[in-house]
Amino acid sequence: MNNKALCFDSEKCVGCYACAVACMDQNDIDVVHDGLAYRHVTHIEIGGGSEVRVVHVSMACMHCETAECLDACPSGALKRDAASGAVIVRRELCIGCHACAMACPFGVPRFGHDGTMQKCDACYARTRFGCDPACVEICPTGALRFCDANEAAAQKQARFAASLAKAR
Amino acid sequence: MNDLELKLKGKVPGPDTGIEVRKSVCAICDPGTQCGLDLYVKDGVIIKVAGTKEAPHSHGTLCSKGAATRQYVYSPERVLTPLRRTGTRGSGQFEPISWDEALDEIAARLAEAKERFGPESVMFFSGYAKWARAYLMRFALDFGSPNYLTESSTCATAMIMAQQLTYGAPAAPDFKNTSCVVYWSHNPSATKSLNLVGIQKKLDEGVKVIVVDPRVTDLAQRADVFLQLRPGTDGALALAFGHVIVEEGLYDKDFVEKWTVGFNDYRALVAAMTPEKAAEICGVSAADIRAAARLYSTSKPACIHFSAAPVVHHTNGVQNYRAVFCLIGLTGNLDIAGGNRMNPPSLVHQPGGFPTREREFTGANRLVDMPERIGSARFPVWARLCNEAQACDIPRQIKTGDPYPLKALFALGLNHRMWPGSQSFIEQLCELDFIVDADPFLTDSAKYADIVLPSATSVERREIRCWPMGYVQFTQPAIEPVGEARSDVDILAALSAKLGLGDDLLEAGIEACVEWMLEPSGLTVAELNKHPEGMWVPGAKPPAERKYLAAGFRTPSGKVEFASGVLAEYDLCGYEALPEYREPAMSPVSRPDLAAEFPLVLNLGARLPMYQHTRTFRLPWTRSLSPDPHADINPSDAERSGVEDGSWIRVSTPAGSVLVRAHITGIVREGDVHLYHDWPQANANDLIDGDYLDPISGFPGYRSSLCRIEPADDQQEGAHHE
Repeated sequence: MNNKALCFDSEKCVGCYACAVACMDQNDIDVVHDGLAYRHVTHIEIGGGSEVRVVHVSMACMHCETAECLDACPSGALKRDAASGAVIVRRELCIGCHACAMACPFGVPRFGHDGTMQKCDACYARTRFGCDPACVEICPTGALRFCDANEAAAQKQARFAASLAKAR
Repeated sequence: MNDLELKLKGKVPGPDTGIEVRKSVCAICDPGTQCGLDLYVKDGVIIKVAGTKEAPHSHGTLCSKGAATRQYVYSPERVLTPLRRTGTRGSGQFEPISWDEALDEIAARLAEAKERFGPESVMFFSGYAKWARAYLMRFALDFGSPNYLTESSTCATAMIMAQQLTYGAPAAPDFKNTSCVVYWSHNPSATKSLNLVGIQKKLDEGVKVIVVDPRVTDLAQRADVFLQLRPGTDGALALAFGHVIVEEGLYDKDFVEKWTVGFNDYRALVAAMTPEKAAEICGVSAADIRAAARLYSTSKPACIHFSAAPVVHHTNGVQNYRAVFCLIGLTGNLDIAGGNRMNPPSLVHQPGGFPTREREFTGANRLVDMPERIGSARFPVWARLCNEAQACDIPRQIKTGDPYPLKALFALGLNHRMWPGSQSFIEQLCELDFIVDADPFLTDSAKYADIVLPSATSVERREIRCWPMGYVQFTQPAIEPVGEARSDVDILAALSAKLGLGDDLLEAGIEACVEWMLEPSGLTVAELNKHPEGMWVPGAKPPAERKYLAAGFRTPSGKVEFASGVLAEYDLCGYEALPEYREPAMSPVSRPDLAAEFPLVLNLGARLPMYQHTRTFRLPWTRSLSPDPHADINPSDAERSGVEDGSWIRVSTPAGSVLVRAHITGIVREGDVHLYHDWPQANANDLIDGDYLDPISGFPGYRSSLCRIEPADDQQEGAHHE
């Protein structure tokens, strides 16, 4: 398993939705019939008056290390891709029982018109061959990246340290 | 899955998968970005899109609109063949006809109008995309009509006019080399999001940022000073900047002395606009105005990032932006690195670091011998500074026949909902004898045409684009046209031949025209054809600094004009030479009588990131992100009106009303309502009258009028309009 993961930095996200649509394009998502998408952008307004600000969050499957959905799935439809570590769903095995949806703390599993579960697979079929996930490839601000998670954390820490220094 | 199956699932290009990456440009929004588009094509069909990594302007990214290119190109609403109207106008009933039949009929009808009423009775209009404008203007002038018009009658031109009146030509912010940038109305989270790549970098480097915007944008949240002004009061704010800069001696005395006229009058004008007075008018704090004015004038160099439409979509728009642009001259930040620099366009309104003959190609100099253009009498300053007719005057002239009758319209991309009083605009168009619209989609406006022609999208045609860093691209079609779609230029070339206009160059097609326009640049079509992904222009140079030292400014005085020599000539029309501040024609201050019934300020200009006018409403991917029309309303106003978040409300003005969902948000000021425009079922632009216009530019006052809100009586009423 490699250490690369989908990393999101809310400080850089401007809520432009490019990731959400790139995901639809990559995965041929039929929003009309299935009424779902794998990646969602949410805008959270914080504070009021002159202090108001909006934080944007782009979310899809977290591909948890300890994935509750994997344990909950009775049909073996969910599995972990050994090469990428992504949690993927084999829709041909899905029985549409929604156990994964009950187990998932993030509200990720969604069900299309055929009743089977659909979600982000971290573009494991792209990352296997050295291509970035579609959402990462398109992000204009670098808020979404496919990189070593610890490296991303270190960069965020360095940036915060710099802002502390400036505040002094 | 084996490796090949996995690669096919991942849409990984290569000989094994048969997926080829072809290069084009996205022209859904236009121009100024034109992001490089990588089209993943398998068996002649696009199966995925991505940004072009080697494109120096877009860095391999796209916005949500460009990302939806596949649904744009393969929309079920594409027009597949030429169509002839069989039902009443607007009914959408058509029969397919052949290209030959369509072009024969168009040629015959246009020739008939020309014969009976003169060539000026035929209008030639360009909406989006903008790429074929030079060709359409040439075609109109070949035909003998001065009435070449574009959607720029409500976009960008007034901003350009404000700069022409002040210092002769537009001066773009040199963002890369600046130490301070004033974003005077720019929201890159929603529009031109590709700018974010550079903005992020500069912010991290510590560039000082001032944001002027009626809403708390993402950029505003990162600004050193943020001025959240009442819509339409930009002029008062800019004069107060001038007040502080002059009073505290922070202006560039040497530049002002040598290179400006009217400074004494300007000094007197700004003396009267104290920050305290502006604070009262604009609704911002006087201390913040002082801080912003000092930061802009003491940071060297500093630039002002302006925008195409927001500040000029007010009935006082040109003068408001003139007051802003005067600050560039006042501080000596004009035509220097890191300031605002003049950089003449190479092609399609964009600089590319090389000279062309695009203007000569349009044949604009032939206008002098032609009848006056639409709008010339009503908007003489427009007519003097701009080569186009002013389309906002079309309904009046159709109705009155003054100064001559209008009988036919040939349009490349017609959208009546972009005009103020849209419904009466399209009703007036119905008085014409003949309408042609070429469009990729059977739009609501196209349904009013007698003949509809199927236009190709950018990925199905060739077009040439350039970018300010000295990059140029002459695209190749990435796929076969959808249906029988043709490039706009091919349509004009074929029609020119049918009409017997005798324009050998235009009729020879796009490659011959491009070769002709590029002649002074040293670029050739043969060389460009070798680089379908685009290429750096050999020897492209950034514009020289301080070009005025040799040539002066292109104003009557040759200097920066605080007092405009052009506007002074039209004093009889009530225009002031100085950028005096006047209230928007409908504001709580100018019309307290109306405000009693319509107490809120209405702004029709807000943008969402997934929509560009009407162009991506029809794409399920983008539409799913924001399916209903809505208005942004401050929590206090919502509470006062008994409006709940997400509920249907009625927004009313003296001109009409629409049903939209309420979005309650603290990013808008108390007292303001921001409505998102162009929705077919809730057309914001029907909320002002067609003659609610800036007298200098003819631009509609979209972004400041008066309204009231109330909960929709019947929830079903709102749902019905979905």
